[in-house]
Order: sequence, then C-alpha cells, then structure tokens
Amino acid sequence: MSAAPAVGIVLVSHSAELAQGAAHLAAQVSGGTVTIIAAGGTDDGELGTSAAKVERGLRLAESGAGVVVLPDLGSAVLTVRAVLEDEDPATNVVMADAPFVEGAVAATVTAAAGGDIKAVAAAAEEARNARKL
Amino acid sequence: MPASYEQQITLAGDLHARPAGALAVAAGRFASAVSVTASGSTADAKSVLGVMGLGATSGQHITVSAAGPDAREAVTALIAILGETTKVGG
Repeated sequence: MSAAPAVGIVLVSHSAELAQGAAHLAAQVSGGTVTIIAAGGTDDGELGTSAAKVERGLRLAESGAGVVVLPDLGSAVLTVRAVLEDEDPATNVVMADAPFVEGAVAATVTAAAGGDIKAVAAAAEEARNARKL
Repeated sequence: MPASYEQQITLAGDLHARPAGALAVAAGRFASAVSVTASGSTADAKSVLGVMGLGATSGQHITVSAAGPDAREAVTALIAILGETTKVGG
C-alpha cells in the first residue's frame, strides 16, 4: 500500500440513497482505501441536491491529493458549479462528466491504484465508453 | 529494453466486481501496460469496467500479459490475485 494520500471522491446525487449505494459499491470494488463521500438529497432529505452537502463533501474527501466530484443529473452539475465558484481557487477539485455508477467505480479504483487527480477524472470520463454487453 | 511476459490461469470462480476491482487496483500500480484476455476478448487490466466487461466465469482460461519495465512482476502479482479472489467462497 502506498503511503501517499489518494484522490478523494464526492458523489453528488439527487437521491441520498443512490449516492450512498454508489459510494458503498465503489468502496467494495476498490478495496476500501479511498475516501468516498456521498452527497445526496436536499438538506431536509428530499430528492434534490444541496450546496451545503457538496461543500462538506469536498472538505471530508480532501486528504492532500485533490478531489474528483461526480454529479448524477443536470441540476447536480449546477449545484457543484455554484459551490466551486465560491471555493478558494487553489482548491484542487475537478468535476468529471461521467456516467454516475460506472464513473464512481472506475474513478475510485484508479484512485486506489495511486492515480493522480487527472488520471482519476479521466478514468471516470472514459467509463462512458465501456460496454457492458 | 522493455520486457513482455504472460501467464495463464484457470479461474476457480467468476470474475465478479470485487475480484475485477482488486485486479485493476493492483494493475494500476505497475508501470507496464497490462492486459487480460478471456475467450478471445482482451481488456486493459487497469480498467475495472473493461475487466468486468469480459464476463469471465469459473473454469475459463485467462491470460495476463504485460509489456514494460516491470512486466514479470505485474503478471506474477495479477495471477496471484486472480487465484486468490476468484476462489469459491472468496
């Protein structure tokens, strides 16, 4: 196991359960060495996204190697963008344009293997080309 | 000069998500290019989705190939992981 910190992952979904489930799956597949934060649902537990949850997720997921954020659907992108606009420009965060489940798994595995923030974001984005059948 | 190396294993269990993840995490730590071939399909061993997409099942012969400075170490490590993680009940 490398001593260097791994890139952290934040999963932003309209559904708290979906974010948690994807985080659980990605952790199981990648061996549990990467920090994955589920940021799903609104502040009062409804379907939707929460800037406060995303912001908290970014803090919790950062361990020195940067953070890759995966949004599930369109307006999650808007929430993440709004949060990133208010962040310190030195913050090392990338939003990946990727299928949610496949991207979460691919990104987390690459982070677990010691990939840097660019490699982790690229693994998530390449997930859209992976065929299941 | 970069070496290339390959080895085969017969899977003792299906190559499900967790073994595929363990394989891809390990493969990603090597500098060499590493691939996994099952029934004529080849996937980048560093791509968990690619490895899962092989749909390799118990009893299939899998070839692990690597080319690069640590090719032999990579193949040896991945064959060990395939043997360990696809064990029945593993």
